[in-house]
Amino acid sequence: MASKVEVAFRPEGDTWQSLSPKLITVRRLILALFAVAVVVAGVVVALTVEPVWIGALIAVAGVLMLAIGWPWVGRRVKSWGYAERADDLVVGSGIWFRRLVIVPYGRLQLVDVKAGPIDRAFGLTSVQLHTAAATTDAAIPGLSPETAAALRDRLAARGEQRSAGL
Amino acid sequence: MSTERRRVHPITPIVKVSTYLPALFLAVLITGGQALFSRPFGALGVLGLTIVVAVVALGYEYLSYQRLQFWFDDDGDLRVQSGVVFQQERRLQLSRLQTVDVNRPLVARVFGFAALRIEVAGAGDSRADLQYLTNADASALRSEILARSAGLDHTAGEAPEAPLLVVPAKDLFVSLMLRAVTVFLLLLTVLIVVGNVWASGWTGIFTVLLGGVPLLIVVTEFAQLYNFTVAQSPDGIRLRHGLIQTQARTIPPGRVCAVEFVEPLFWRRKGWVRLYVTVAGLSKSDDDSGTESVLLPVAPREVAEDLFRRVMPGAQPENVEMIRPIGSVKRRSPIQWRYLAAGADERIAVLQHGRITRRRQIVDHARVQSVRLSQGPWERALGLASVNLDIPPGRIRPQWQHFGLEQAHGLLAMQTERMRAARAADKSTRWMQN
Repeated sequence: MASKVEVAFRPEGDTWQSLSPKLITVRRLILALFAVAVVVAGVVVALTVEPVWIGALIAVAGVLMLAIGWPWVGRRVKSWGYAERADDLVVGSGIWFRRLVIVPYGRLQLVDVKAGPIDRAFGLTSVQLHTAAATTDAAIPGLSPETAAALRDRLAARGEQRSAGL
Repeated sequence: MSTERRRVHPITPIVKVSTYLPALFLAVLITGGQALFSRPFGALGVLGLTIVVAVVALGYEYLSYQRLQFWFDDDGDLRVQSGVVFQQERRLQLSRLQTVDVNRPLVARVFGFAALRIEVAGAGDSRADLQYLTNADASALRSEILARSAGLDHTAGEAPEAPLLVVPAKDLFVSLMLRAVTVFLLLLTVLIVVGNVWASGWTGIFTVLLGGVPLLIVVTEFAQLYNFTVAQSPDGIRLRHGLIQTQARTIPPGRVCAVEFVEPLFWRRKGWVRLYVTVAGLSKSDDDSGTESVLLPVAPREVAEDLFRRVMPGAQPENVEMIRPIGSVKRRSPIQWRYLAAGADERIAVLQHGRITRRRQIVDHARVQSVRLSQGPWERALGLASVNLDIPPGRIRPQWQHFGLEQAHGLLAMQTERMRAARAADKSTRWMQN
C-alpha cells in the first residue's frame, strides 16, 4: 500500500530534487527556541502560581513539543521534492496531507524568490510559483540561493517560450 | 495613433458625494451626536458638521474627477489615469479583456448615470472603474471597448443584441424560498426577534431592525438578481439584473473558464438549476453572496443547458464518459458517494459532487492553470485521493473528490496531457506570439 502511495506522489522516471538539509537545521533551531521559551515560561509559572502542577504541565508540554517535533521536522523537510519535466514543474510535499502540484511552464505568471532574515543567515532561499489561479499553491522552500536563482531563470525562460495566456 | 483624452461626466463629484451622504450623516450622528446635541448647537450642530464634511468630500471628489482621464493609446489599448494623492496610470491590454460591466447604483440611476467597470486578465488588481458617465456614453464606450478588443471597427456603434430569456420574478422568489439556507436564515431571524422581544419588550424589534436580520441576505440576493435578463450579441453574452441597483455585464466569447450547474434538493421536483460561471479577472472582489458569478439564477434544465452551449460552444458534457470512485468511498462520504463522478474529453473536464445540493462543474481544459493531487490521512486509510483543478478565482472550486488512488493518479495524468494538448491547440489565447 505504502509503496503505491509513494509512486503516485513521486512519479517514477522523473529526476527528483530535494531541499537543502540546512532547512532541517533551521527549522529545528526555531522549534528548539520555541520549546525552550515554553519550558522557561512553565518554570516561571510554577515558581509564582499555586498550584505548582499548572506550571509543570506547561514545561512538560514544551519538552514534548521538542521530542515529537525534532524527528517530525526532518521527515517533513525530506518529504518535499520537485522535478522539472518537459512541459511542467512538479512539486510534492507532506506526510499526513500529501500533495503533488503540477504547474505547466506556460501558465506561470510570476516566480517569487524570497528569503527572510533567518533563512538568509543560513544561506537559504524559497521559490514560490504563481499562476492566474489563486489556488495554485506551489512553493519550494529551502534552496541554496544559486539553485533558486537558476531555477527561477529556467522557469522564466520556459514560461516565455510556452506562454499560453489565459 | 492615440485618441484624445476623455473625462467622465462633470456632475460626477456631486453624484459620488450624494451616494455616501446618508452614511456620512449617520457617522457624524453616531460619533459626535451626543456631544453636539448636549451643547448649545443642538441638532444644527450635527447638520452643520455634516455639511462641512460633505463640502470637503466634494472638493476631494472634484480633484479626483480632474485626475481621472482615459484614452486609447497607439496600440489601441485603454489607458486610465487616476488618483489624487497616489497618482497612477494604468494600461488595460484589450486583447486580454475579460468583461465590461455597466453598473447603476440607486443614486446614480436617479441622476441617469452609470459606472463602467473594465476587467482584463492578470495577476492582482487588473480592473478600471470609470464613474460616472451618462447612460448613453456608458453604452457607447462599452461597445467601443468590446469592438476594439475584438479587432472590429469601433465606430460601428452598439452591436445589436437578441434577447434570450428573462427570469420571472415569481420563479426567482420561489427558488430562493426553496433553499435550505433560506429556511435556516428564517429560523435564525425568528430566533433573534423573539429573543430581543423577550429581553427588552416590543422596543426590541427596533433594535433588531436597526441591526439587520439574517433574512436580509436573501432579500438582498432577490433584489440583486431581480429581472435577470440574458441576451446574445456579437460581442458576447449580456447579463442584466437588479431591482435597486442595476448591473449589466458583457462576457466576450471564449472567456469562460468553468460553468457550474447547481441543483438544491427542493428544486429538483421543479427541474430547476442555477448556473455559476468563472471568467478570469472576475470576482477578484470577495463577493460572497456570489451574485457576480451568477450566469443564470434559476431556470428549467433545458434552458440552462441551452445557455451553457452558448457560453462554452462545442462542449458536450452529456457525451463525456464518467467514472465513479471505488467502493471504499462509501466510508469516506456516506451521503454523497453515489453522485461523485469524474470524466473528461478533449475539450472539457466534468466534475460531479454533492447529494443534497448537487453540483456539476464543467471546466475548459485550456483555462486550467495547474493540477493538484492530494491525500489526507482518512483518504489514505481507505486508499483514496482527490484531484483539484486550479482555475482563476471565483465561486467554482473544481475537485474530483475521493477517487481510488489509481483512479486519481490516472485522472491526474490524463488531465495533464489534455491540458497540454488544449494549450497547444488554443489559438484564441496566442495573442503573445503573433
